[in-house]
Amino acid sequence: MIIENSLPVLLSRLDFAWITTMHILWTPLTIGMSWLLFFLEIAWLRTGDERWYKLNRFFEKIFIINFGAGVATGVTMEMAFGILYGPFSQAAGPFFGNILGFETITAFMYEAGFIGLMVFGWGKVSKGMHAFATFNVGLSSSLSAMWILVANSWMQTPNGVVLKDGLFQVENWWHAILNDNFVWGFPHMWVATVELSLFVMAGVSAWFILKNRNADLFTKMLKPTLLALLIVTPIQIFIGDSVGKDVADTQPTSLAAMEGHYHTYLPDGKPNTSWNLIAIPNANNDGNLFQISIPHVLSLLETHTWDGVVKGMDQFAPEDRPDVWVPFYAFRVMVAIGFFLFFVALWGNWLRLRGKLNAESLRKNPWFLRVVVFSAFLPYLAIWTGWWVREIGRQPWVVYGLMRTYQGVSHMSVAQEVIWFAGYIVFELLVWAGAWYFFARVIAKGVDGIAPSDQLFHHGEEGDAHAGGGHAQASFAKPMLKAER
Amino acid sequence: MDFTHDIVRITSALSTWWWILLGLMFLFYIALDGADLGAGIFALFSKDEDERGAIMASMAGFWDGNETWLVVAGGVLFGAFPLVYGSAFNYLMIPLMIALWAIIMRAVAFEFHVHARSSRKVWGWFFAIGSLLAPFFAGVALGASLQGFPMQNGLAMAHIAGRDYSTPVMHFSGTALTWLTPFSIWTGFGAVIAAGLAGGLYLCARFVPGDVIHERAKGWTSLFSLLALAAIVVTLVWSYAIFPWAAAKWTGPNWWVWAAWMVIVLFFAFKSMSNHSAGHNFVALLWGEGVVVLLWAAMWATMYPYIVPGTWTIQEAANPANSLAVFTLFMTGFVPIMIMYNWYQIWVFRGRFTKKSIYAAH
Repeated sequence: MIIENSLPVLLSRLDFAWITTMHILWTPLTIGMSWLLFFLEIAWLRTGDERWYKLNRFFEKIFIINFGAGVATGVTMEMAFGILYGPFSQAAGPFFGNILGFETITAFMYEAGFIGLMVFGWGKVSKGMHAFATFNVGLSSSLSAMWILVANSWMQTPNGVVLKDGLFQVENWWHAILNDNFVWGFPHMWVATVELSLFVMAGVSAWFILKNRNADLFTKMLKPTLLALLIVTPIQIFIGDSVGKDVADTQPTSLAAMEGHYHTYLPDGKPNTSWNLIAIPNANNDGNLFQISIPHVLSLLETHTWDGVVKGMDQFAPEDRPDVWVPFYAFRVMVAIGFFLFFVALWGNWLRLRGKLNAESLRKNPWFLRVVVFSAFLPYLAIWTGWWVREIGRQPWVVYGLMRTYQGVSHMSVAQEVIWFAGYIVFELLVWAGAWYFFARVIAKGVDGIAPSDQLFHHGEEGDAHAGGGHAQASFAKPMLKAER
Repeated sequence: MDFTHDIVRITSALSTWWWILLGLMFLFYIALDGADLGAGIFALFSKDEDERGAIMASMAGFWDGNETWLVVAGGVLFGAFPLVYGSAFNYLMIPLMIALWAIIMRAVAFEFHVHARSSRKVWGWFFAIGSLLAPFFAGVALGASLQGFPMQNGLAMAHIAGRDYSTPVMHFSGTALTWLTPFSIWTGFGAVIAAGLAGGLYLCARFVPGDVIHERAKGWTSLFSLLALAAIVVTLVWSYAIFPWAAAKWTGPNWWVWAAWMVIVLFFAFKSMSNHSAGHNFVALLWGEGVVVLLWAAMWATMYPYIVPGTWTIQEAANPANSLAVFTLFMTGFVPIMIMYNWYQIWVFRGRFTKKSIYAAH
């Protein structure tokens, strides 16, 4: 057994894995949807079409609940490196710490500085200023994703640093920032956020059409969403393939785990070219107990040749091998979802071509709508599984090839690790349950209660004090003098 | 040619610069979010959910920005002083963990309270309790940091590895409860009192005179002003007794600077209290925030040249010169920008509130 699977290290891995898993449940929707809300707002401002405004305000309600959940789980993330992985944070500080610092200053705070305006600023700032705020939330959250992916990719492919005095000191900033894994890893993550957001918005729209509530309005939403997905889903498959090749080049242990590929050569000395559809790894992590495999496919995928050599786990010392179970199956789930979502996008646009993408025909044959509703959940699972492949495939290293995970773990007792885990199970599940419950509540309430946009700047008398303040009585910025009271 | 000496001087200047900015980021956090947290503590004693809802609504537009200064402070610490970030947070695991749970409670309460019907009360309490626990455990963490912590190199998880892992970097080497002392518990209470006062001043300025929240916050603020003065005295005396590095400064050759500073603090406190009595709520809030600024600056100056007293000096804890230089080049310019857009966001949401103010549809 590798040291990284012994109890204290395994627990600290689980501690971090859990909070990451529960944080990445929220941020992709914030990142992707902020741009989609910006497009809806622009569509409204340019065409004056009230329907875009309604859709914008409606989806914004989901957005803000989601944003709150992202902040709730995200503050922990920013502190957790130091708490759970202190020695790693210290050693990687000269690069990794800088990048996390960049993230808080140029992205986390940037987003917080405009989110209030975006959500509560309606009618308090001009329309142009509001659109500007929405744009800034979009840009800042994407910047945040970029920095986080710079940091995480560098852990996969730590370019541009040397280990000196116990610290990873930067020799070449460009190599470290634009490291091998980042080049495709960031686009893969960013496009995933857009794909997830499009599917969530499509899924909600499909639900409304299915229930025959504001069906025409949501069909109007569904059309451009499906068209965008027709572009996004194949691009994501292409980028994903590029990431895979990249991993094959830079992290052969991770690739071998993802493919359950143990033996580089067959007993007869020929290269093992088989791609495993299903595999059950043995307890020693040196072979499969059972596998269903197709010859030549692995070589075709990774080397683009009929029987090229792909390095298996047996090329690496037993203590340097990651576990196979999670990377192997999680990878397959992610890929399957990627292709399925592409198929859904094709289906929807095919319906549109045949003139059947209208509320009436859609409801007549509701299977498409049902599948779209179901598809709103799949990108979440794809993002989870993808991130698990990344993180578990990198083991037993925290900085690939340079720092073992056990070397980066904080000085903690097992009791501390268990308390952290138990506490965050409670709190993160509470966030999850609450947020999804109130998503459902907002969706059930629907769009009919949303006031028309011409009432935005119409301020009544009593009880006009909107959340966040504003046009109540502007005496806050102007100190009240005695005479005025 | 030997540039070593120059590099040491550059590192020293840049690390001192980031130490000052770090103090500024923490100051923004305690000054701005302190008021929001204090208003939440006040909400512990609210009679009904409408009142808690109105208090939450009053800060809906900027609580996130205010809270994020803590994240920025964490980011600056990681970016400029990762050796502190990776050891102090390890040391402070339990208080930070509970403070983070409290922050989660508050954040979800903000989003859920407005949508809830039957569970409104639960989220109202989450808001109030989260607002109490966050400053308490942040205060505990601060007090524990002032006490310093034990370190060794090459420790961490080496004992389970069965093989030697050597590094010159100093890691935290204490136990789970090294932070727990009477002083750190006291600073937790001190932080709650300070937040309570800031919250009271904020609510007085934020709600219309005559409104039920405004009227109750008036009495609350007067009470917390006295508590805060007492807390300042206790903290100063206690610190003088147990921290030689503080005593050496306060009664050293420059004792008159510290004494004069204290007189200015008392003057600000007096102005805050007298303006509060006269009903000049916003002015009282500003003088009160002035006290926070002055005391925080004094604490930061007392710690110099340490970033964690007796544990890490600014110089030892700083990143290598080239990382500091990159951080300075790319990040310093964003500090005034962050301040500007945060100021704008708060300014947009100015204005007085009443309890009737609904956390309107958003």
